[in-house]
Amino acid sequence: MAEFSWDIRSPLDRALVSGAYGARGDAGVLLTEIRNFDLVQVMARRGKAADMAKAAKGRFGVAAPETPKAVTTADATLIWSGPDQFFVLSQGGKHGTGALAPAFAASTSLSDQSHARVLISASGAKARAMLAKLSSIDLHPDTFAVGTAAPTSMDHTSVTIWRGNDRVDGQAVFNVLVFATFAESLWHTMLDSAAEYGVNIRHSEELT
Amino acid sequence: MRIVCPFCGERELGEFTYLGDAKPVRPAADAGEDAVFDYVYLRDNIAGVMNENWYHGGGCRAWLKVTRNTLTHEISAVEPAPGAGAAKVDA
Repeated sequence: MAEFSWDIRSPLDRALVSGAYGARGDAGVLLTEIRNFDLVQVMARRGKAADMAKAAKGRFGVAAPETPKAVTTADATLIWSGPDQFFVLSQGGKHGTGALAPAFAASTSLSDQSHARVLISASGAKARAMLAKLSSIDLHPDTFAVGTAAPTSMDHTSVTIWRGNDRVDGQAVFNVLVFATFAESLWHTMLDSAAEYGVNIRHSEELT
Repeated sequence: MRIVCPFCGERELGEFTYLGDAKPVRPAADAGEDAVFDYVYLRDNIAGVMNENWYHGGGCRAWLKVTRNTLTHEISAVEPAPGAGAAKVDA
């Protein structure tokens, strides 16, 4: 019998080199890959959207988003990903598929996407300018306020982007979920886009 | 050209894929060869307002029915395609 090693490694394991990149001086962009998260796609079965909404309210205590929004609870973020569907982003297994199944089994299909997506957080004074080069979404704070989400395309790659809570210093935070196999390509594109502003690169085990 | 997706809001054309005329309806199983030939091969080529199927593959992955003037590209209505799965949200 062959021996297999199922070490979980980030798709950005090789591409991501922590430290400074691009223009020297104060970094305009902070790019952080968030590792070790639980991500579940929740999709209503045909005709079961109302039942799913009720189940979500019961499970999380807040209404799941029905428009392009991200809703934050004490230990999870519910991110709209399309009509009658949303993501549950969390850590520590509390909201994995097994934990969610009892509440949702009657109305909903659950699909574990924890290792199928890469989560990249972009912040800093030039984060918006960097993302604007790649996105056709209007990221102006008047339009893309805290909690706004969008399934869209960046550099022809499908992503889900949403604005998290501002950093303690008031800087906006943009979170980008991208398919694992496209993550390295998008990561390099982001670095190229951000290089002129100076980038600080790191990865983190903590959801911010 | 921009399309106002009823789920996502206004998005650029690059996020959408054009399927074509939304009018053809699959004929009944016993409708006969002529009806099936029409359904599979024949399309009107309208200079003016027509209903079209578009797929928002770069966004919410919903099928949409778009009412577009083929002469001016003016879009007068966008709604979820019937049977595409999702219920219409209040836009």
